[in-house]
Amino acid sequence: MIELKIDNQTVEANEGETVLQAALRSGIEIPHFCYHPCLSVAGNCRICLVKVDGRPKLVPSCNLPVAPGMTVETDTEDVRAARRAVMQFITLNHPGDCGICDKAGECRLQDYHVRYGEEESHSREPKHHRPKFSDLSPRIVLDNERCLLCSRCVRFTREVSGSHQLGIVERGSHARVERLEGRPFDDPYSDNVIGLCPTGALLSRDFLYKSRVWYLEPVRSVCTGCARCCSVNVWRRQREWHVRALGAELNRAAYRVTPFENPAINGPWLCNKGFDLHRRMARKRALTPLIGGREATAEEAVQEAKRLFAAAGNPAVLAFAPASNEELAAFRDGLGRRVQVYTREDYHTEPGEVAEDDFLIRGDKNPASYSIRALFGNRPYAPAARHDLVVIWGERVDYHALGGAKLIHLASFEPAGETAADLLIPVSTTFERSGTFTNFEGKVNRFEKVFDKPAQVLHAGDLFGRLVP
Amino acid sequence: MSEARVFFNFAVTADSHRLPAYRDRRGYGALEKALREMAPAAVEAEVKASGLRGRGGAGFPTGMKWSFVDRKSPVVYLCCNADEGEPGTFKDRWIFENASHQLIEGVLLASYALGVRHAFIYLRGEFDLPYRRLCEALAEARGAGLVGERILGSSFSCDIIAHRGAGAYVCGEESSLLTSLEGFKGYPRNKPPFPAVKGLYQAPTVINNVETLATIPWIIARGGTAYASIGAEKNSGTRLFGISGHVNKPGLYERPTGYPLKRIIFDDAGGVRGGKGLKAVIPGGSSTPVLTAAEIDGITLDAESVQAAGSMLGSGGIIVVAEGTCMVRLLRVLTRFYAHESCGQCTPCREGSAWMDEIVGRICAGKGEEGDLERLEGITRGIMGNTVCALGDAASMPVASFIQKFRDEFAYFIKYGRSMHAGRLEV
Ligand SMILES: Cc1cc2nc3c(=O)[nH]c(=O)nc-3n(C[C@H](O)[C@H](O)[C@H](O)COP(=O)(O)O)c2cc1C
Ligand code: SF4
Ligand code: SF4
Ligand code: SF4
Ligand code: FES
Repeated sequence: MIELKIDNQTVEANEGETVLQAALRSGIEIPHFCYHPCLSVAGNCRICLVKVDGRPKLVPSCNLPVAPGMTVETDTEDVRAARRAVMQFITLNHPGDCGICDKAGECRLQDYHVRYGEEESHSREPKHHRPKFSDLSPRIVLDNERCLLCSRCVRFTREVSGSHQLGIVERGSHARVERLEGRPFDDPYSDNVIGLCPTGALLSRDFLYKSRVWYLEPVRSVCTGCARCCSVNVWRRQREWHVRALGAELNRAAYRVTPFENPAINGPWLCNKGFDLHRRMARKRALTPLIGGREATAEEAVQEAKRLFAAAGNPAVLAFAPASNEELAAFRDGLGRRVQVYTREDYHTEPGEVAEDDFLIRGDKNPASYSIRALFGNRPYAPAARHDLVVIWGERVDYHALGGAKLIHLASFEPAGETAADLLIPVSTTFERSGTFTNFEGKVNRFEKVFDKPAQVLHAGDLFGRLVP
Repeated sequence: MSEARVFFNFAVTADSHRLPAYRDRRGYGALEKALREMAPAAVEAEVKASGLRGRGGAGFPTGMKWSFVDRKSPVVYLCCNADEGEPGTFKDRWIFENASHQLIEGVLLASYALGVRHAFIYLRGEFDLPYRRLCEALAEARGAGLVGERILGSSFSCDIIAHRGAGAYVCGEESSLLTSLEGFKGYPRNKPPFPAVKGLYQAPTVINNVETLATIPWIIARGGTAYASIGAEKNSGTRLFGISGHVNKPGLYERPTGYPLKRIIFDDAGGVRGGKGLKAVIPGGSSTPVLTAAEIDGITLDAESVQAAGSMLGSGGIIVVAEGTCMVRLLRVLTRFYAHESCGQCTPCREGSAWMDEIVGRICAGKGEEGDLERLEGITRGIMGNTVCALGDAASMPVASFIQKFRDEFAYFIKYGRSMHAGRLEV
C-alpha cells in the first residue's frame, strides 16, 4: 500500500497504480477521455492533467504512477486552465450537432464541456469538415467530425478483440479513424466500440434515431446467445415517458442492448450477438394458446393439458428452452418426477456465426445447458420408448421425429411452419420474468424482468405445478 | 585551444570519406585503443569527464544519459538519431557525406561502453547521398572487421543497422523514432517509461544524435579532459553551426562553444546579404525562440548564454533574418511546417498547431481581426507543456516569441490588411 495526497485527501493506492486510478477509486473525479481501465494507456487526450508537487509542468494522471508521499492537486487554477484549453481544442472542429446525435445525454464530451469547458469557442475559423455518417460497417455509423481521436476504438480492436481492423490514418489535424484498407469491419465484437467511444462518433445503426437516451432506462438481464450467459442491460422506455399517441408497442420495446459490467463473466464487453439480443427477442411471439389449431384462452389450455396428461400412459418431457434455474427447479419438483425427461440442445452455430473463440463466445449456444445437465444428465430422446404424450419445452423441434405421440408444445416464439402440436401453450421469455442462469463455468447470473408478460402467456414455472393431478 | 577541430580537420577530396583516408587520419585508432586497453566503464568515464552534451537539441549530458541504462538488462540498444528534420539544421548530413566512418567509430565506442550488440542508425527518408555514403562506409568497415563479430579480434561484437525513415519530422523525437523503428506509425510515447528503462522493443535504449556520437572517437583518442578544456565551461567542445538565411556565406562552421554569435554571423558568414541591417536571429533551429538584433549583443554560442537571452542553442542551426523581412509571413512558414508535422496524437498539438497556422494564414491574407494576437498567445499557452512530446512546444515557441518581439508588425498587418514590408525582399 502506498499513501499519497490528492486534493488534501489521503489516498491509499496499490503499487503500480496510476494517480488517475487511485483518485477514481477514492471518489475524486479527474476527467478522462482516452483512459479506459481495460485498455492500454494512450495519454493522448490530455484532459486528465494534474499538478504534482515539485514538478514544473502539469502531468497526465493516467500515466502517472503513484509514489509514496506524492502530493497531487486536481483543481488548481492552472489545472482548470489546461482543461479549458483542451476542451477548446477538442471542440475546435467538433460540429456541435448534439441536437441530432444519439449520444447526447450519455456523451462524455458533452458532460465535460459543461463541467470543464467554456461557453464559447475562441475560434473565428470555419470548422473543418470530415466524412460524416459513413458506414464503418453494416452495424456501425462513423462520424469523423465528432471523433476526438482518443483511440479507444482502435486500441479495442488491437488489445481486446484482436482483429486489428481499425486504425488512425494521416497526420496532424488530418488524422482520422478508418478501418483497415480494403477490409470490412466485421469484428464479431465490433459493437463494443460504440459504448467505448466517449462521443457520438460511433453509433449503432440499429439504434440510430430510435429514441433519445434520456427517455430510456436499463434493466439488468442476461444474454441467452450462448453458454457464457453475459450480463446485459436491456433498455426500455421509462414509465414517465410512456407514449400514448405513438403506439403502445413502443412502451414494450427493448430499444437496445448494452453490456452490463460483470467482472466475473464478461467484464464490460459483449459479442455482437449479445448486442442483438433484443432483435432475437423481437421475433414473432407465440401469444395465443392453440388447442388442435383452434385459438383458446390460457385457462382452457391448462385444462386441456391436464386432460391429455390424465389420458397418457407413458408421458415424456423434452426439456430445453432458455429455462432459468428457478423454472428448472419448479419443473423437477413438479411434473419432472412423474414423466420421463429427455434433454436436447435447441440452438447451434448458425451460418456466419463464430462457433467459438478464446474470448467470450462459446460453442454451446444454449444458456441453460449447465443446469439441465446437472439436473437431468444428458439424455437424448429415445423413440423406442414409444411415448404416447410428449411435452416439448423449447424451440426448433422436428415434430415428426417424435413419432405419433400426442404433443404439447410450450413455446415462447411462434413455431416455424404449420403447428403440428395438439396443444400449444405460449410461455414467457427471459425479458418477462426474473431469475438466474448458470453459465458453462458454473457461475450464476441474474436477470430482472423488463416487461410484464402478455395476458394469454404463462410462466412455464407456474404451469408445471398445475399439471400434476 | 580555439583551433581544435573534431570534424573539420581534413581537406574534403573525392575520396576523403573512404576508409583508407579515414585510417590515414588515425581513424579507428580510438576504437583499437578502447578494445585493447579500456574497460567499457572506462570509456563511459571518459565521456563523462569530457562534459559532452547532446547535439540533438536538448543538450542533455551524454555521460549522464548513459548512466541511466540498466546494465543488468540482457539487451541494450543504441539508436543514432539521424532524422535531422529541424529547419535550419544540416550538420548531420555533412557528417554522413564526409565522415561516416567517424560516426561508425563513435557508434561502436558507445556500443562498447553500453554493452550494445545491435545499434541502429535512423536516417531521415530524404537523405539520399548521406544514406549511400553510410552504406558504403558500413560495407567497408564490415569488410575490414570493424563491424560485426569479434571486432578487431576482440570479444566485442556489434552490428550496425541503417534504417531510413519515411519523411516525418516527428520521428526525430526520440520515442517516436523508436516506435517508427519498430514498424509502427511514428507516434511519440508518453514518459515514463523513459527509453533508458524501456525503449526499443521494450529494452533499455540510448538515443544519441549523430554529432554527439561522432565526437566520441576524438574524446577517447585524446581523453575526456582534453575535450573538456575546449570551449565554454559547462558546454565543452566544438559544435557544428549551420548558418542559413540572409548571410553572405551560408554554410556549416565548426566553432568551439562559447564563440560569439555576432562573430560567426558577421565575420565568418560574411554578414547580412545586400548590406542590409540585421533584424533577427533564430539561434538553434526553427523551433527556438527568435531573438532581435539588439538581443544578440554579447551572446556566446553555448547553452547558458543563449538561454539567458531567452532562447535555446538547440541543434545549432542559426537562421539569420535581414532588415526588411516580414516577420508575419516568416512566421507563417513556420506555423505551416509544424501544423504539417504534428503527428496528430495528442489534442493540444494536433488541434493547436493547425489552428495557429490558420490564424496566421488569415492574417497574411489580410483578414486579420482584433483579438487574433491574444488568441494566438492563448493557444500557445494551451499547448506548451501539455503535450506528449516537445513538438507542441516547438510549434508554440516561434509563435509566442514572434508576437512578443514583433508585435507592432503583427498589429500593423491586422489593422491595414497588408505587411509593413510590402513587396519582395531584395537581398
Ligand atoms: C519534434 C522533435 C524533433 C527532433 N528531431 C531531432 C532530430 O532530427 N535529430 C536529433 O538528433 N534529435 C532530435 N530531437 C531531439 C531528440 O528527441 C533527442 O533529444 C536527441 O536525439 C537526443 O540525442 P542527444 O542527447 O545526443 O542530443 C527532436 C526532438 C523533438 C521534440
Ligand atoms: S471514434 Fe470514438 S473511440 Fe474512436 S478515436 Fe474517435 S472518439 Fe475515440
Ligand atoms: S458471448 Fe455468448 S452470452 Fe456473451 S454476448 Fe455473446 S452470445 Fe451472448
Ligand atoms: S505534441 Fe504533437 S507531435 Fe508530439 S505527440 Fe502530441 S501531437 Fe504528436
Ligand atoms: S485520460 Fe490521460 S491523457 Fe487522456
